[in-house]
Amino acid sequence: MIDSLLLSQYLIAGIVIGIMYALMAIGITFIYSIMKMINWSMGEFYMMGSYLQYFLVVYFLGANLWFLGIPLSMAVVFVAGMIIQRYLLRPMFVGEMERKDEYATVVTVSLMVFFRNLAVVLAGPNQFAPPDYAGPTHIGPLPVSGNRFVALIGTLVILGLFYLIVKKTWVGKALRGSAQNRVGIQTAGVNVLRVDQIAFGIGVSLAAAAGALLAPIFLVWPENGAIATMKGFEIIVIGGLGSIPGSLLAGLLLGIVESLGSILISPSFRDVYGFILVLGILVVRPTGLFGERQRVA
Amino acid sequence: MPFLTVQNVFCGYYEGIDILQNLSLNVDEGTFIGVIGPNGAGKSTLLKAIFGFLKYRDGKIQFKDREIWDLSPFEIKKLGISYIPQGSNNFPHMTIEENLTLGAWTFRHDKSRIKEGLEKVYDIFPVLSEKKKHKAEFLSGGEAKILSIAKEMISSPNLLLVDEPSAGLAPKIVSYVYEFLRNSQEKGITILLVDQNINQAIDNSQYLYMLEMGTVAMEGSAEIFRENLKDIIRDSLLGT
Repeated sequence: MIDSLLLSQYLIAGIVIGIMYALMAIGITFIYSIMKMINWSMGEFYMMGSYLQYFLVVYFLGANLWFLGIPLSMAVVFVAGMIIQRYLLRPMFVGEMERKDEYATVVTVSLMVFFRNLAVVLAGPNQFAPPDYAGPTHIGPLPVSGNRFVALIGTLVILGLFYLIVKKTWVGKALRGSAQNRVGIQTAGVNVLRVDQIAFGIGVSLAAAAGALLAPIFLVWPENGAIATMKGFEIIVIGGLGSIPGSLLAGLLLGIVESLGSILISPSFRDVYGFILVLGILVVRPTGLFGERQRVA
Repeated sequence: MPFLTVQNVFCGYYEGIDILQNLSLNVDEGTFIGVIGPNGAGKSTLLKAIFGFLKYRDGKIQFKDREIWDLSPFEIKKLGISYIPQGSNNFPHMTIEENLTLGAWTFRHDKSRIKEGLEKVYDIFPVLSEKKKHKAEFLSGGEAKILSIAKEMISSPNLLLVDEPSAGLAPKIVSYVYEFLRNSQEKGITILLVDQNINQAIDNSQYLYMLEMGTVAMEGSAEIFRENLKDIIRDSLLGT
């Protein structure tokens, strides 16, 4: 039989990876809940974050200052996201426009293709790996890879900051208000287009954080965002679109299921376990764990 | 100085289909103006055009001599105009206090003014004070309407646009809401009320406009409207 030490090691690995997936999913769901559109190029912002981190660490900061790279990458992607939102997405949200979400799909899928190819043009099709963030360490008696440990702590810090911004600041109030009632936030005197822009910036910078934190584990190459996007959407289906606690829980669940499946059954079907979970949830709760049925009219 | 003037406005939701057609009206400072008319006459559209939710295609809307065509709702709010829409403007997953605080967005950096505003609102609407920690989604229809009014009043506007405040409410709440609007006008707030409740509109307004097919079909003092009430109701119902 499998001994409990190995099992708990895999459990921790699953939790670490799950919480990283959740970061992607929270970004997707956050943008959706405010702008009511899905950003299909989320993985490419993840990719941007990983490239930025790699180049910052290798050429500017040095291996010891890797932790500075993460907020810097997030900031750059935040600004890039705001600019992209301003010029490519915002025009659809001015005035009355039908089928915004379909336009958003076309725009963000195009961005996905564009950024993947841009990365090839700028940095070539090669894989890069930044230097390790930290050496192997222990959580209690369990050995864990330093990079994964850093990723876990980093994600917790970022999620904590995200929570504080959304719960405690005026911008956060406006963000929540926009998600709950788009008319009501405008009658209150909030510039809702500005809120959209900030929401998009925050959402994509969460993806960039995931990319930067995972760079030494999953490496840096033009299509590394594809897996992150796929996991992000799996989580959305499991947790329910529009629910941040749902994304967090579903991320953990997905990470643990994949990890335990790998050790209990076979690691070659890693991605399959997640999809089985998705199918199972769809059968039992089609709206996801925390999702609500959309009320029409 | 004219307060709010709407001049020959053409406005609609789709290109080529104007809901408002050459509509003109005047609102003087400190007055209570009613706008009535059958379904589809353009009453709500008028308020949306004034508050910047809809861009008008032609004509002029001026508030205190300032053309507001190029302004968005958040900029119009800053001029001192508040809009109470017919549907909900509340945030269901926030507490009453959070809802009201967001209503104070335009002066969010002035803590003492927010506190003052909250106290004033709680004073006027004790029901909100009792439930300030409750989430808005658990309020009854009447309480939710009071919250949506309070949320737009906390910024102490000069002009209040009100869309069908009585829709779907119990009679007791309805009279409470109109009484509140009347009191507000007595305190100096100008009110532009759009209503299907013709009796209430006539009883509360000083001057009225009746819209038909997107333009003013009749205007006059409340007395004139009261004398012709029967004809007006018949016209309203039949939409002739």
